[in-house]
Amino acid sequence: MGCGVTKSDQFHKHSGKGVSAIRAAVLIQRWYRQYVARTEMRRRYTWHIFQSIEYSGEQAQIKLYNFLGYLMDNFTPSSNERNLISHIFRENDICRDAEWERYFCYKKIEVPEIYSGPHLTFPLTVEQAVGLVEAFRNKKQLHSRYALQLLLETWKLLRMLPNINRISTCHSKEITICGDLHGQLEDLLLIFYKNGMPSLEKPYVFNGDFVDRGKDSIEILLILFAFLLVYPSDVYLNRGNHEDHIVNLRYGFTKEVLTKYKMHGKRILKLLQKIFSWLPLATVIDQKVLVLHGGISDSTDLNLLARLDRHNYISALRPPKKRNQSSASTSMDSDLDEDVWGANRIFQRRASLTFPKPLGARDCFHNRSLQDFSDRIKVNVETELEIRRRRRSAFNAVMKEPETETATLSFDSVYSDNAKEEWKQILDLLWSDPMAQEGCVPNEVRGGGCYWGPDITEDFLNKHNLQLIIRSHECKQDGYEFCHNRKVLTLFSASNYYDVGSNRGAYVKLGPDLVPYVVQYQASSMIRELTVRQSVGRTERSALKVLREQLFAHKSDLICAFKKFDSENTGVVSLNDWASAVESVMHLDLPWRMLRCQLVTRKTSEGMIDYYDWFNELAIIGPNSDNIDQSLLETLYRHRSTLETIFRIVDTDNSGFITMEDFRQTWKLLSVYLKMEITDEAISDLAVTIDSNQDGSIDIDEFMEAFRLTDKKSRLERGRSMFMGTATDLTKLEGDPNI
Amino acid sequence: MAPKKKEEPKPAAPAAPKPPEPERPKTPEFDPASVTVKHQQPFLFTDFKDAFQLFDRTPTSEMKITYAQCGDLIRALGQNPTNAEIMHVLGKPKAEDMQTKMLDFDQFLPIHQHICKAKDRGTFEDFVEGLRVFDKEGNGTVMGAELRHVLATLGEKMREDEVEQLMQNQEDANGCINYEAFVKHIMAS
Repeated sequence: MGCGVTKSDQFHKHSGKGVSAIRAAVLIQRWYRQYVARTEMRRRYTWHIFQSIEYSGEQAQIKLYNFLGYLMDNFTPSSNERNLISHIFRENDICRDAEWERYFCYKKIEVPEIYSGPHLTFPLTVEQAVGLVEAFRNKKQLHSRYALQLLLETWKLLRMLPNINRISTCHSKEITICGDLHGQLEDLLLIFYKNGMPSLEKPYVFNGDFVDRGKDSIEILLILFAFLLVYPSDVYLNRGNHEDHIVNLRYGFTKEVLTKYKMHGKRILKLLQKIFSWLPLATVIDQKVLVLHGGISDSTDLNLLARLDRHNYISALRPPKKRNQSSASTSMDSDLDEDVWGANRIFQRRASLTFPKPLGARDCFHNRSLQDFSDRIKVNVETELEIRRRRRSAFNAVMKEPETETATLSFDSVYSDNAKEEWKQILDLLWSDPMAQEGCVPNEVRGGGCYWGPDITEDFLNKHNLQLIIRSHECKQDGYEFCHNRKVLTLFSASNYYDVGSNRGAYVKLGPDLVPYVVQYQASSMIRELTVRQSVGRTERSALKVLREQLFAHKSDLICAFKKFDSENTGVVSLNDWASAVESVMHLDLPWRMLRCQLVTRKTSEGMIDYYDWFNELAIIGPNSDNIDQSLLETLYRHRSTLETIFRIVDTDNSGFITMEDFRQTWKLLSVYLKMEITDEAISDLAVTIDSNQDGSIDIDEFMEAFRLTDKKSRLERGRSMFMGTATDLTKLEGDPNI
Repeated sequence: MAPKKKEEPKPAAPAAPKPPEPERPKTPEFDPASVTVKHQQPFLFTDFKDAFQLFDRTPTSEMKITYAQCGDLIRALGQNPTNAEIMHVLGKPKAEDMQTKMLDFDQFLPIHQHICKAKDRGTFEDFVEGLRVFDKEGNGTVMGAELRHVLATLGEKMREDEVEQLMQNQEDANGCINYEAFVKHIMAS
């Protein structure tokens, strides 16, 4: 910097020019610093938006599952409605594993000549595993025969593993730990490229959430399982909350498998259900570092976790049923067992003291239709929630939050205390998040698990003689984050998770000194060329688009809320009232006042907002919908994910099509769930619009596509030149249909 | 997203405190009590609260920010004070105080108000005129290298990575910058 000093002296000497130069410099510096601060602000609230929406989606999923479970417990055993959804609760698979192996048999599946993907022979070799990675990198798909075979071998292996893996670093080995991958193959390939593939010298721990959201979930699973088979002592997998078929219904994995494996997808999914339930729950390294997916609670007990039968918990969202002593083993596809089961359960329920009797005497169970249920259920859902609330407050010793009506998973008295306890342990392990305050409270944002504080960490580590917890489950901007006095490390390995440029991914290397060494990365070279401003801007636009759609989908409720502030019906509200009203409807806990300038551009001269006008300004357009009731449309937009999830549940043969009759039943289910009236006529109109070829069946994907919201605004913004990037950057990004 | 009490993702590094420029005449001590906080525009008031909350990184959401964050917050709200001005309204704190001393919302408001009143905001013309100083050939461009140098050595110096971030993609093939376009670019944020 020597010459620099001279130069500024030079400026000082020629003071006239010097002063104006300095003034210019200061001006630019001021503006730059303002720009940096504003960018940071935008980045933060953009992050809030994405995270809020993500977590509220998870909560919605749990609400839905609760609801379905409730219906299951109350439907007539052999009713059509029950059959619609009963199969996802088919947890009474108590037949022997040998029978299952027959069902999953791949041997009769022929591989055609034209198949250009990899051929696998077992026992698998490392060359084949590496070849599999290469094949997937080249966008090949593994044939269902080999996929099933690989999964079967994996299942066999997993059954022999303990609930908690215990591994050690030898003086020459470093263990690599990866967090959530969520179907993002590019990130896994990047990790392997930077760090090398798993081997005897390179052990790996993968900490759950391998699937959902990304588009290559099955490929990631196949790669991880292949390496697990080749190096069983050097590859460790922990179960995540997304290794769960109920969650998969909503978040895309089920759809992905059924799309890629049209003929055998259903079998693959069934086998994966078992594999997921057999995935170990945690890994301990050198008896000092605990690696698990979600976290802990104040009652987490590693000894209990080590003892339980983890494979009983097919889905973490529902505890296993109490085993009925008299039930004999049956074939897996029979509904008869279901009916026996159902009747017994209802009988048990009647004997329960704490649970209300929703349906009266057993004799009048027959011929109950969904419509008959709806009135009763409307009442009962309320009482149900009240009971849960009371139970929850009794259950939780520490409750700092005021009790609110939220969705948390229920404890039915049908289940044994033992099962309840075990289930809660697993739930906490897979769904919990750390918080800054001390104590332990239920995780109401996600709907499962809890929030645990630094004191809980301290006690837990002392009790089990550990020094560090490594977990995942939460997206972090830098790919990782320490908390609780650096005793808890969150690790997230899916970069660009919310959107291109939103976050980096990271993995951790742990040597014998057990000091975590973090490596960060970000997939996609396009990102590296973007300036900070461009990537923040892009993510922000994306978040705002999602937010606008959400707002639009709640139009009626919002207008109701606005009217409360506008007693004289002038059609305008103050900005402050606007923000309060929006939060009261959306419950996303976002800084609405800050977002206001992005969401509302038109104000009256007095600084008020014309709320009817505002909805026009949101510029969201739906499909041509003249003949469809507006409030029905809004329901569709708002509950798109739930509706799609229900469709996929109803589509029992996983064909992607449901019959008109099932379609109607689905709507009735939804109307009960949402407690709103949907007339038969409205449903028929809807069906007619969708079933364009009038063949009596509806393509689920087409249906959902038809009701996708289009954000006109972002299209307009695309035309504006928003960055001074190079022309090639511009065209690359503008061509992205996701913008 | 968890309730606001949850830890937020890591923030950007706050701007390091800069010593006041020697050329500036001595200004009287800043007395926050002398500032009357105007309440006539209540909605702006609560705007700040949202922003303040976004910057609040206390574990129990006490609605407090550190001295070091004060400048960032004021800038995020649309002002562009110099570092010297910030230090002045904070009462010229020592370097070690920047990370430890806290401000709550009521203490922040008069500070912010004071900054808002400052007249010398810098217009487009001021900028352009300032940059014209470095336009050796009088053709509307400056050398990128020279501008980088100036920003890193004069005034309230910027760090190399900050300069890089600002100048990214601004220079043409000859390393020149059209400064009118550059100023538009900066002011457009």
